[in-house]
Amino acid sequence: MIEIKDLHKNFDDLEVLKGVDLTIRPAEVISILGGSGSGKSTMLRCINGLEEISSGSVVVDGLDVTKKDELKAVRKKCATVFQQFDLYPHLKVIENITLAPVQVLGVSKTDATNKARALLESVGLGDKADVYPAQLSGGQKQRVGICRALAVGPDYILLDEVTSSLDPEMTAEVLEILKNLANDGMTMISVTHEIEFAREISNRIVFLDQGKILCDLPTADFFSADGGMADPRIAKFLSKMGTGS
Amino acid sequence: MYGDDGFTIFDLQLWAEGLGISAWVFITSSILGLLFGVLIGLIRYYRISVLGKILMLISEFLKNSPVLVQLFLVYFGIPALLMIDLSPVEAAIITLSGNTAAFIAVIVISSIDAIDKKQLEAARSFAMSEWQILKLIIYPQSLAFAMPMLVGLAINQLQVTSLVSVIGVVDLTRVGDIVNLRTFEPFIVWPVIGATYFVLAKMIGIAGSKLENRFNRYKRVTNI
Ligand SMILES: Nc1ncnc2c1ncn2[C@@H]1O[C@H](COP(=O)(O)OP(=O)(O)OP(=O)(O)O)[C@@H](O)[C@H]1O
Ligand SMILES: [Mg+2]
Repeated sequence: MIEIKDLHKNFDDLEVLKGVDLTIRPAEVISILGGSGSGKSTMLRCINGLEEISSGSVVVDGLDVTKKDELKAVRKKCATVFQQFDLYPHLKVIENITLAPVQVLGVSKTDATNKARALLESVGLGDKADVYPAQLSGGQKQRVGICRALAVGPDYILLDEVTSSLDPEMTAEVLEILKNLANDGMTMISVTHEIEFAREISNRIVFLDQGKILCDLPTADFFSADGGMADPRIAKFLSKMGTGS
Repeated sequence: MYGDDGFTIFDLQLWAEGLGISAWVFITSSILGLLFGVLIGLIRYYRISVLGKILMLISEFLKNSPVLVQLFLVYFGIPALLMIDLSPVEAAIITLSGNTAAFIAVIVISSIDAIDKKQLEAARSFAMSEWQILKLIIYPQSLAFAMPMLVGLAINQLQVTSLVSVIGVVDLTRVGDIVNLRTFEPFIVWPVIGATYFVLAKMIGIAGSKLENRFNRYKRVTNI
């Protein structure tokens, strides 16, 4: 369980998160929506300590991210998939995936490689194990990014606009994989602009506005006229994104 | 067979000794320069106290003042300052190590700068330690980036070793001087000495481009 309590985050004078409370239970799939600059990425980055929190608390399965030794354990539990993939360009695809399992989890090279091959196979990249990231298309890179995240056997997957850098066709192939993951019971926190995708995979939708959670509702309620849509800010956001009723 | 002023077998021996001294000064100062330069670069990169800034200031001085001046400073200055004896070869190695380190530090910093930092964050998010990130992600990529600069620097520093003859190191250049004074054959002596440096530089260049190819392999893959 991820418990975020009264989370504040400032960058110097700029207050980006203004008291966020959010609890994510195992097997939940949560989509975080909100306008640009509302603090979605920052919130996600606070969960695994990529940003230092200013005040409040973030606790993952009882581990406090502000404590250095506990942060490491948190990072082993939470794997992130990045918008720009952020693969290691000097390593082959297979090595990108086995790096953390071998270095951090102490998995043997053989076991890690076998698992990585199986993962690549499962996302349709069985033949790309030995190429470098530069030889892949964006959609393929992101599928490798997903494999890299899954390879560490995470309890939570954090996704930050993982399809924003992809064209529609590639977006579809990546979303398909994530949908299957959600169905398999993976706990996921996904920042996204893909409203339809959010609607399809999430149990809950969290709407962030100017550093505050405007609403945190079960998906069906969020999209109903007397639920989230009742708030003009959300209605406006959704109509701008080309969805909603 | 050439009489007193002709070449003798001892000239060949002298040439070999000069070559040995030049190579020794070059190799030791390169290794020491590399070690210190990398250290300075890393201290700067990780912003370890004000030490990084001070070291970079010294580097700037070493990079932007004549090596000959540095050589005199070390050879005449250090013995006076520390009351110790310094042989010409020692002074040469100290000076060139410092000078090389200054250039290496700048190369290290710019090569680390050239790396996309977001992948380091990705590695961090997977619980890799800073040491693992340095060793497995920063080092290989910055080395690939730095390789051409390092090769260029090495070839340049090889030529710079010829300056150490002025403080009495009997290096290749000094040997050329000695033999030339005795034989009065400048058009034989200096081309031979020049060619020796040329061959050494070429060897460094060839070895360097081999290494470069190896480290840069991942960059030359065809993009789709
Ligand atoms: N490292 C930083 N230093 C200073 N300001 C930052 C930093 N990171 C983010 N910000 C600011 O914090 C605010 C929130 O940024 P954040 O990236 O969390 O927004 P977001 O909701 O993810 O937006 P988007 O949808 O555009 O990705 C923005 O105003 C941004 O400029
Ligand atoms: Mg963002």
